[in-house]
Amino acid sequence: MSNNNLFELKNIAKRFTKGKETITIFDNLCMDITSEHFIAIMGPSGSGKTTLLNMLGGVDRPTSGDIIYEGKAIQSLSENALASWRAANIGFIFQFYNLMPMLTAAQNVELPLLLKKLSRSERKKKIDAALTLVGLADRAKHKPDELSGGQQQRVAIARAIVSDPKLLLCDEPTGDLDRTTATEVLQTLQLLNQEFGKTVVMVTHDPAAAEFANLQLHLDKGEFIEQHKSESAA
Amino acid sequence: MFAQIIAVIKMNLLSLPGRIGSSLTTLLAVAIVVTVLLAFMAMGEGFQKTMEGSGSDEVAIMLRGGSQAELNSGLEGDTLNIVSVAPGIAKNENGPIVSGELYVVVDGTKRSSQTEANLPLRGIGTAGFALRENIKLVEGRMFEPGKTEIIVGTSILSQFDGFELGKTLRFGTTEWTVVGVFDAGGSVFGSELLTDVRAVQTQFNRGNSYQSIRVKLEDEKALDKLKDYIANEPRLNLDVNTEKAYYSEQSKDMAILINMGWGLAIFMALGALAGALNTMYTSVESKAVEIATLRAIGYKTTAAFIGTLVESLVIAVLGGILGTLIAFLLFDGISTSTMGGSFTQVVFDFNVSANAFKNGIILAFFIGLVGGFFPALRAARLPVVLAFRS
Amino acid sequence: MNLLTLIRKNLTRNKLRLTLNCFAIFIAFMLFGSLGAIKNAFESGVEVAAADRLMVVNKINFTQSLPLAYVNKIRSIEGVKHASWANWFGGYYQEPRNQLMTFAVDPESYFLVYDDLTIPEQELSNWLKDRQGILIGERIATARGWKVGDRIPVSSNIFSQENGSSTWEFNISGIFRPKNPQTDTSYTLIHYKYFMETQIWGGDWIGWVPLNTEDPALNEQVIKAIDSMFANSAAETETATEAQFSKAFIEQVGDIGFIIMSVVLSAFFTILLIVGNSMWQSIRERTNEIAVLKTIGFTAHKVFSMILAESFLLAFTGGLLGLLAAWALVIAIAPLTQSFLPALVMGKSVFFAGVVYILVLGFITGILPAWQAMKLNTIDALNRR
Repeated sequence: MSNNNLFELKNIAKRFTKGKETITIFDNLCMDITSEHFIAIMGPSGSGKTTLLNMLGGVDRPTSGDIIYEGKAIQSLSENALASWRAANIGFIFQFYNLMPMLTAAQNVELPLLLKKLSRSERKKKIDAALTLVGLADRAKHKPDELSGGQQQRVAIARAIVSDPKLLLCDEPTGDLDRTTATEVLQTLQLLNQEFGKTVVMVTHDPAAAEFANLQLHLDKGEFIEQHKSESAA
Repeated sequence: MFAQIIAVIKMNLLSLPGRIGSSLTTLLAVAIVVTVLLAFMAMGEGFQKTMEGSGSDEVAIMLRGGSQAELNSGLEGDTLNIVSVAPGIAKNENGPIVSGELYVVVDGTKRSSQTEANLPLRGIGTAGFALRENIKLVEGRMFEPGKTEIIVGTSILSQFDGFELGKTLRFGTTEWTVVGVFDAGGSVFGSELLTDVRAVQTQFNRGNSYQSIRVKLEDEKALDKLKDYIANEPRLNLDVNTEKAYYSEQSKDMAILINMGWGLAIFMALGALAGALNTMYTSVESKAVEIATLRAIGYKTTAAFIGTLVESLVIAVLGGILGTLIAFLLFDGISTSTMGGSFTQVVFDFNVSANAFKNGIILAFFIGLVGGFFPALRAARLPVVLAFRS
Repeated sequence: MNLLTLIRKNLTRNKLRLTLNCFAIFIAFMLFGSLGAIKNAFESGVEVAAADRLMVVNKINFTQSLPLAYVNKIRSIEGVKHASWANWFGGYYQEPRNQLMTFAVDPESYFLVYDDLTIPEQELSNWLKDRQGILIGERIATARGWKVGDRIPVSSNIFSQENGSSTWEFNISGIFRPKNPQTDTSYTLIHYKYFMETQIWGGDWIGWVPLNTEDPALNEQVIKAIDSMFANSAAETETATEAQFSKAFIEQVGDIGFIIMSVVLSAFFTILLIVGNSMWQSIRERTNEIAVLKTIGFTAHKVFSMILAESFLLAFTGGLLGLLAAWALVIAIAPLTQSFLPALVMGKSVFFAGVVYILVLGFITGILPAWQAMKLNTIDALNRR
């Protein structure tokens, strides 16, 4: 086991039963995620991208096999232990941002901090830092419906990084954005990876978005069929 | 236009099962509100029916001036003689139909609570039965004048213990025997124990005093003649009224029950209204795209408005019908007793009348109307562009 | 922001729904509070009844009279501390509708038996000296604005004087007050002797004998001793504790407690349906957000408690407002119901029962939605779009 590996997936199988049919998504998937990498996972729909992301984030469990995070198997943790593990280690970014409509940008960013024992001023400091990093410090008091799609996604990024997790899991983060805005969001992710050492795993079907990663993996029918390092990435 | 409205109503009603939980909630809430209203109305109207069925237009009742109720009244024996010769009183083979009456309150044990309650032991004169045509002996025999014998009303038998035929009752040192049972056609007299007035006077040391005098009136003008006579006779200080008016007056207090029922039901209806509004707003929201689509293809706003309103009315009126049904099954015909105007128990049956039914449906209709109106406005004002959004 | 803010923001996001729910709960608790107060007022006679007080009435019925001579015989019975007597006067003020409950009592012994009433020493001795004196209860004084020294006419719909008039003039000698505020004082007291001498029927008969025992433990024994003493006489007695007597009297009207509880329960059931359904809807609409909260690390338990707290918050907002309104309503209607429901106040017991019902309502309406949110499958919820 390499010390550089944040995640190791060993012989993962994942099956669903739908009525009488059993659908196999993964049969025997193995994968290492190296610390401080920016990985893009691509593949057609139904290839298992999102299921893989969900398993990495501890919201879904493999039928068999081990998911080892920093040397510890997480697939057998209880729901509550997984929730706390997610709160400490993972930041999620969704395609549709998933911000709470009745909360301001700052309050949305604050949500993960409510799970930690922090004073009001400590929380404030972290929220300011996160919003500044995504370039939205001046929009802290705005509600989601007063922000553009790109701004909302940047608030979502701020929410994902505010509690300083090692890993960011992004599910089609630019799927709902136009090209220019998408580029801004991807540059932010790149910045987080390069300057702050975050490991980023991003599921996308957009080859242009994948170019921002330093490793592109292609998934089809539950197997990685090819991988290559991006040129544009440093 | 009419076809449009029908189409929207059809769409709304067909989509009801999709929101079955929410719609049922409102339906049930309306049903409960209507049940509560009807319970009180059935109680109040049942009591009134008993009281109003009691008095006769052809009988006048006289009490000491200012006493209001028989229990408070007291009349000297002479009074009866003076009244007997008054004009306007009908006669039969025994002379004028006049009954001097005296009653005492005795204890009976209420079946429902096993507590003691006031019952009237009424002594009546020989003409007493000629004045009470709705009384029929159904079991046993009549009491004999002067003896300590009692006949009991069927209402008493149904609600109180210890008055069965043949039983002996002890009031003070005297024993009284139940020799007969009478039916009083659902009137207040069924809640009485009847005996000869002399027996009451003697056994309860009342000399030859009475509390009330009842007389049979000759015709419609007889009451005025009687009143004139009494007003001009210095030895008499009497209040005169028809028996019917006397008992309707006593039933007035129970109108408070009906008013209370309305008060409670209206408060509860406001609560149910909140539920109806909630349900209908949700309904409009869930069908927003469909409504907008219909508008886009040319349906009028009126159709959207009426469609939503009708949906609400259907739910509420169904609730109202369910509520009346529950009330009818639960309450109609239930016998109970309460303290009447004479400080004694009056047995009466809950009566879910057609009038109550009508009122229940009206209340439900109003909940549906208000509960549907505002959501219907929202439906009518939905922007058509909604139809083009995904 | 803290968790409570988040819960509050969730509750207030749909203002219309919040208003409707709060209003429904408000109505239910206003009914609960005011009906609870009415029920208590009906039953206050039972509740505040002194444990050591007994009532002796004619066995035939309490409207039948007893000989005055019984009082001394009763006083001689072992275990009897004080005994007094009273007569029903059937009083009203000016109009027969305007009832003024008046008892003709023995002035010397009355307050020895009713030791839960207080009256200033001076006013009591003034009353004892003035045969035409009348004592009025505090509630009467408040309701009618009468003061010590006023002269009032009291009429009877039963009795009349020798001159044919049924109206007596009385001087207000004093005002008696209760030690326990729930105790009824909406009646007046006049001298038995004065009443007997002026009315035409005469006779040494009395309505009933109130007495207190040396110790409530002796009640049973005293009841037996009294009733057997007068057994087989022309006026047999029936002795009962004050509480039993009051209870039987209320039962004569009907099972008011049962009727009121039925109404309150139907109102609650209605509101339970409405609010429960609404909470359920609101959680269903929030499925996606709950999934997000779980994804970013909120445990299932935390989500569960947040939803439950939200429904408690709703129940408390509407419920406390409703109880407050009931309290104000009861104060407003109390003067109107003075004549037949003198003890109408919304006491602490109703309030605390209300709070318990609020908790129950919050729990029942919140538990299913909270359970649903707790069990929510994050993957399904997130992929639903």
